[in-house]
Amino acid sequence: MIDLGFLTDTMGRLLAAVPTTLSLFILSLLCGGVLSLGIVAMRVGPYPALSWLARGYILVFRGSPLLIQLFLIYYGLAQFDVVRESHLWLVLRSPYACAVLALALCTAGYTAEILRAGLMAVPRGQIEAGLAMGMSRWTLLRCVIAPVALRQSLPAYSTEAVLMLKSTALASLVTVWDVTGVAQQIIQRSYRTLEVFICAASIYLVLSFLVVRAVALLEHRLSPHLRERPAGGTRPASKPL
Amino acid sequence: MLPTSAAPVTLAVAGIHKSFGDHHVLKGITLNASRGDVISILGASGSGKSTFLRCINLLERPDQGEISLDGEKLQMRAGKDGRLEPANRAQVERLRTQMAMVFQSFNLWTHMTVLQNLLEGPMRVLKRPRAECVEEAEQLLQRVGLYDRRDHYPTHLSGGQQQRVAIARALAMRPKVMLFDEPTSALDPELVGEVLKVMRSLAEEGRTMLVVTHEMGFARNVSNRVMFMHRGVVDIEGPPQDVFAAGASERFRQFISSHEERASA
Repeated sequence: MIDLGFLTDTMGRLLAAVPTTLSLFILSLLCGGVLSLGIVAMRVGPYPALSWLARGYILVFRGSPLLIQLFLIYYGLAQFDVVRESHLWLVLRSPYACAVLALALCTAGYTAEILRAGLMAVPRGQIEAGLAMGMSRWTLLRCVIAPVALRQSLPAYSTEAVLMLKSTALASLVTVWDVTGVAQQIIQRSYRTLEVFICAASIYLVLSFLVVRAVALLEHRLSPHLRERPAGGTRPASKPL
Repeated sequence: MLPTSAAPVTLAVAGIHKSFGDHHVLKGITLNASRGDVISILGASGSGKSTFLRCINLLERPDQGEISLDGEKLQMRAGKDGRLEPANRAQVERLRTQMAMVFQSFNLWTHMTVLQNLLEGPMRVLKRPRAECVEEAEQLLQRVGLYDRRDHYPTHLSGGQQQRVAIARALAMRPKVMLFDEPTSALDPELVGEVLKVMRSLAEEGRTMLVVTHEMGFARNVSNRVMFMHRGVVDIEGPPQDVFAAGASERFRQFISSHEERASA
């Protein structure tokens, strides 16, 4: 039978963990995003050594399971006395910080590749138009390449963001009390796996939906040129010359 | 080749060589453009005419040769591979601002409106104040007949309209020389006329223009000089009445007749 009281109680406790899940998500997305800019710059830049370093990074972090990366950071690094005695330990001894670090490092690899695809898709002619006008490389990047590349990266990035949101569940395995962690705690005491996990899953579902909508809204705002031509074709001249 | 006008030389290009791999595309091209010259550069596909134009503003790196604009020589040095490379990036950027280019495929920035396309260069490269740039951009759009489309995005315009915006964008830089790289080749036949009309009006107001084109009417009637290229060398160069004269160049005559056949086919 459906036990409404239990469901409400469970939902309340799970919702209380949403801020933890969301902050894991947002922090790791931000850190990963910043890191990915550096990686993609190295990857497409003119220095072969840096480019290979970036390729290596992407290979490692895309090619190994996020869960193992997280365990290596949380349990693995603690084996080294050097780490435990350094200032890094202030960060690395916290499960939450380790989870953010692992998620950020992992998403940075994927995001760098998404951005690179966006960069490659910037039409050569639009770059040449800027060069022929005497734009410096920085101006060209800021005014032509970056807006076009970022816009083109958004659809793929929204998928990456949703994957990241769901990956935050792994943090529960290093004792972070996010939605999944709290769900498991409730199950251990109540043995009611189905109800609790369905509640948890529905929370992730709503959050993913919101993330997808937010990115779609951003995409829409950034692409007026792909929408229908404004009605009427012409706008009355407000200021005749 | 003798200069055909007495005005001072604005753009001097000498001995340009360019190879792509083993393919020697340009074999020493020299061209001097005086102020107000409108020079049509003709040639069959593969003759190197577009590559030559793109070497002038260094969109292609010439292997050898000299370029100077208003007496200022573009500084080049031998790179690691033995070919030339620009010695001073800032100088390249500055000279490029004075040599506006109009492309075959327009190359407008699709994420910006028509007006923003015209403001980008003057504001961000030349650092001129916004109000002044807007005023001038709007005048230029009036001139090419697209003032009422200033808030549209390029994808909402026809090819002919996009190319007219591209010409206005080039003019907004107040260039000393304008480089046209087959400006009408990507257009539907019925849209060619509106672009040529704008180009003709630019020629009439005395702008210095280098035009790579297949439009024989423009070459013959609007430009004051014609340069015909064949396999990377200049086959014949001079005022259109001389170049188009019977017997001036057998190769040019063949080129013209193949063009006329194509036009009448």
